[in-house]
Amino acid sequence: MDWYPLYNSLRIALISSVIVFFTGIFAAYYIAKLHPVVKGILDVVLTLPLVLPPTVVGYFLLVVLGPRRPVGAWVLEVFHTRLVMTWYSGIFAAAVVAFPLMYRTARGAFESFDETLAYSGQTLGLSNTYIFWKIRMPACRQGIMAGAVLAFARALGEYGATSMIAGYTPGKTATISTTVYQLWRTDNDALAFRWVVVNVVISAIVLLIVNLLEKRERASGKSVVHLSGRN
Amino acid sequence: MKRKMTAYLMTAAMTAVWMTGCGTAKEEAPAADNQQTQAEDAQESAAPEEDQDTAGDVALNVFAAASMTETLEKIQEMYASVEPSVTLVFNFDSSGTLKTQIQEGAECDLFISAAQKQMDQMDSQADPAVNEENLDFVLQGSRVNLLENKVVLAVPDGNPAGIQSFEDLGTDKLKLLALGNEDVPVGQYSTEILTNLGLLDGLEKDGKITYGSNVKEVTTQVSEASADAGIIYATDAYSADLSSVAEAGSDLCQPAVYPAAVLNISEHQEEAQAFLDYLQTDDCMKVFEEVGFIKAQ
Repeated sequence: MDWYPLYNSLRIALISSVIVFFTGIFAAYYIAKLHPVVKGILDVVLTLPLVLPPTVVGYFLLVVLGPRRPVGAWVLEVFHTRLVMTWYSGIFAAAVVAFPLMYRTARGAFESFDETLAYSGQTLGLSNTYIFWKIRMPACRQGIMAGAVLAFARALGEYGATSMIAGYTPGKTATISTTVYQLWRTDNDALAFRWVVVNVVISAIVLLIVNLLEKRERASGKSVVHLSGRN
Repeated sequence: MKRKMTAYLMTAAMTAVWMTGCGTAKEEAPAADNQQTQAEDAQESAAPEEDQDTAGDVALNVFAAASMTETLEKIQEMYASVEPSVTLVFNFDSSGTLKTQIQEGAECDLFISAAQKQMDQMDSQADPAVNEENLDFVLQGSRVNLLENKVVLAVPDGNPAGIQSFEDLGTDKLKLLALGNEDVPVGQYSTEILTNLGLLDGLEKDGKITYGSNVKEVTTQVSEASADAGIIYATDAYSADLSSVAEAGSDLCQPAVYPAAVLNISEHQEEAQAFLDYLQTDDCMKVFEEVGFIKAQ
């Protein structure tokens, strides 16, 4: 069994979750402070990939990143590299579909954060950066971690948009999901089944982690109080 | 169209289930299953209703190779005036996908495949070595060779990689070649061509081949310049306005013959046969030949 699809899937999922981790938190933090109308619009736009069929996401990505399209053509000319049909094309697809999960979970965590803690930090002369990293983030840690794991799981399971912009080149762009589809299509059921098992095992582990994190978050209601006492 | 709508609804339903079921992994699978059966039920119960709505009229389900999309849609308009009581419902995909769908119980009256293999796999009179699963879907006596297509090497507009022949596929000019997978007839022809040229193994090892699941996907990858070249049918190159730099002769691959047959599971065998006869008239052949099909011998 050639393990390349596993390696490629994990690599794409990891890189896209790191991207989504920071952009999601950034978006959640700053958008919460915007004017309600702007906030409402941005919220819809940023959450759309969660409810859109992945084929629609794939279509949008192709229209932007294809070698005959604005961004893709520019990159091809300047860097002599294609943005589609390469292994890293999968990162674009995975990041876009996983982003809403990180964004929404982080926003939920930030919303349940007791703002008086931030205010008391300000009265003590702490900088906003310090308050963000040392008070807000630790207090919201569990929620943010859950979001990151969910985003990772979604990125790992991405199929539709990936198959459209990365295609299926064995040993190059093949991920677990595209491999399962191709093996099934070409009547290689036995091997497809083995990949299905691999995928189910990984996804089950990821969901287990999410559940553990959620449980710990419920139990950690006190830690916020503890934190405020220390500050 | 109905099929497409169902697909969208199912996607929406599954997403909804998935969104609400995030925290509870256990519930997820059965819930998704339920949604699916519900969607299937809905589809089944919708079918007879539709028949009632168009009382007296017959809806013919025609499953045809993706490469016939443009021509059959044109013929659909013509047939509306020839036989107004018959509505044509098309399902276009790779012949392999269509064969699987028929096998899995899709309602189909007329099947047009882009290769003999997929038709043979469902014909009880075919060689058992090909019809391995011993399927019996072809209505005996209805099967004909309808059309012939040419397999060509197509390149994107302007041919950025400068590929001029099948032999060029073995050179450094080529970075990525788009093919259909083994399940797609054009993929089988492509494999045959590349094997005959001794290029297949090398290209696969270098990771230079991307596999699409039907000929239209391969065509799009070429027209979007996602790949440097692709092996498709002359008719698809024509419809997509792509230039083909080489044509596979009989020395490289067997002729791409399109067999057609009425299926014995059809409830409208007479109407299906009538449409199949119509497809062989000069009027239809004109439409086919316009895009590069040849009347089968």
